[in-house]
Amino acid sequence: MSDKKQDTTHFGYQEVPVDEKVKRVADVFHSVAGKYDLMNDLMSGGIHRLWKRLTIEQSGARAGMQVLDIAGGTGDLTRKFSRLVGPSGKVVLADINDSMLKVGRDKLINAGAAGNIEYVQANAECLPFADNTFDIITIAFGLRNVTDKDAALRSMQRVLKPGGKLMVLEFSKTDNPLLTKAYDFYSFNILPQMGKLIADDAESYRYLAESIRMHPDQETLKQMMNDAGFVGCRYQNMTGGVVALHTGIKP
Amino acid sequence: MDQKLLDILVCPVSKAPVELNRETNELICRTSGLAYPIRDDIPVMLESEARTLTAEERLPEKK
Repeated sequence: MSDKKQDTTHFGYQEVPVDEKVKRVADVFHSVAGKYDLMNDLMSGGIHRLWKRLTIEQSGARAGMQVLDIAGGTGDLTRKFSRLVGPSGKVVLADINDSMLKVGRDKLINAGAAGNIEYVQANAECLPFADNTFDIITIAFGLRNVTDKDAALRSMQRVLKPGGKLMVLEFSKTDNPLLTKAYDFYSFNILPQMGKLIADDAESYRYLAESIRMHPDQETLKQMMNDAGFVGCRYQNMTGGVVALHTGIKP
Repeated sequence: MDQKLLDILVCPVSKAPVELNRETNELICRTSGLAYPIRDDIPVMLESEARTLTAEERLPEKK
């Protein structure tokens, strides 16, 4: 595991040096930060809101809890958690990308969410929080962009309280061949065009489609969570497996 | 900076608690010898963005 890793990793379908992936992913998100919410709505036809709502509903968040929203980007989940945990609780919005964090903070302040939200720029692979800190950790559409996913899962396990819950919401693998065909066409033909038209950035959205295909499938991710020390790991497909919600508990 | 946030922050390298240096507006870890900047009120807890403390800075605070 700690052997001098292969020096390259995938960036979408390309092989790039490990250090470069971090930089390239950062560039993608610096580039899309300003239009991130608009693009999410357009690309998913608004369904991403439903996926996020289902995640919140299954989180079991309640007053007084400590929640960590990793790769929280523009703060969709953070805003909902902020309301649920109330003034006695806390939500930490963490992202490795300062552009995304700032867009998120502005948006949350405009929405009147404040008081129990903190912002931290952090790398999911080595989280800067004390052991056993959080009741719930979410990472929505973020794990895909992390270079060393196993290290990230172990780091999340460390900072969760015993009994705490990890929720990974991420694009996954569709199981219906017809849906897969339509989805592939959409992802590789329509999506980059939309990215070009709206954000003038076809490359970033091509990376998005490719990175989704390179991400571990449902069973593989579940096994990775087991290996990182979570118990009761399970997943639930949404929209035919376009997206899956994995959950696991720290024993 | 919020005290409750400071209470749960640790150095991502050493996992030791960090202390706030108000003069330099940094979060300091004497164990790893790194100082993390606070930019726009957001602590930047990335090793790649941290400054290495001088030998003198690493000494425990004098009274």
